[in-house]
Amino acid sequence: MLETAKKRFDIKILVANSSVSDTFGLDKNVVKVHGILVTSDKDDLLYYRGEQKIEINNKEIVPENYESKLLMSGINVEPKSRYYPLGGVAPGNGLVKISYKDLDDGRTVFTPYRVSLYLDYETEDEL
Amino acid sequence: MMKEQVIITKISIKRKGERKHFQIKLPKNSKFILGVEYGGRLIEHSDSALIRTPVTDPFASPVIGSGGVDARTQLFKRNQLIGELKLQSCEKANWFFAVDVFASDANLGLADFSQGGFPVKDYTHGNKRTEEIVKVDAESTIIQGWYLDSLGKTQKADIKYEVNVYVWINVEE
Repeated sequence: MLETAKKRFDIKILVANSSVSDTFGLDKNVVKVHGILVTSDKDDLLYYRGEQKIEINNKEIVPENYESKLLMSGINVEPKSRYYPLGGVAPGNGLVKISYKDLDDGRTVFTPYRVSLYLDYETEDEL
Repeated sequence: MMKEQVIITKISIKRKGERKHFQIKLPKNSKFILGVEYGGRLIEHSDSALIRTPVTDPFASPVIGSGGVDARTQLFKRNQLIGELKLQSCEKANWFFAVDVFASDANLGLADFSQGGFPVKDYTHGNKRTEEIVKVDAESTIIQGWYLDSLGKTQKADIKYEVNVYVWINVEE
């Protein structure tokens, strides 16, 4: 039976104007990835300063320099529509890579923050 | 198989009223341009460069005949105009995309009575961002772009910032 689930992966940005990359593994029973969403504990910093590249199974989902604000959803967005739709990407080797770049912006003052990548996916029962 | 892909182009602005012509190169297997979106980043830290809506209402124009200010107009704040962006395909005449680039929606919190406890900001209450849908042939694989600064002109200062243009295309694999 197929079931949908959500999972969160975190990275920490400790230094201003730095790049942070990390790779996460999906469970083996994931069959499709339907959506992505990025949030932060300091969402103004993510909104104004963040850019990232996201790959699933070594395939580029969003390219380098793609602004984080384009993958964020405010609380005005209905919960079921908050994820950025991918149309059911096959997880392949199950590796999700995020390469995040913090860039100075005149409207914010840097302080260490967390970036969370949420995935909306579908799993099937392991037999 | 057809696949969607996004091409990102950064436009760097340094002087007030700067006008930039640029080209966006698309991959050879591009079929159509599907959509365009934009974003930006303020680079300079000068106080004069802050992209914020002025506290005094710039929208408050005197009401004809009364000599005063219409209170209703004070509810609304003017969005900070950053510049104008236009794109043209080499296939056809005229722009296929033209937009005024704004910093943010200054009236996002209008009529929100909960503002005292949870101030309305773009990054908390913003709507989901989606591309402006266009459908343009991408056979020539070149898009001509034009950008004109307004932020520096209105602030009367050389303000450094970047505008990112995202062009969504359909490619054949």
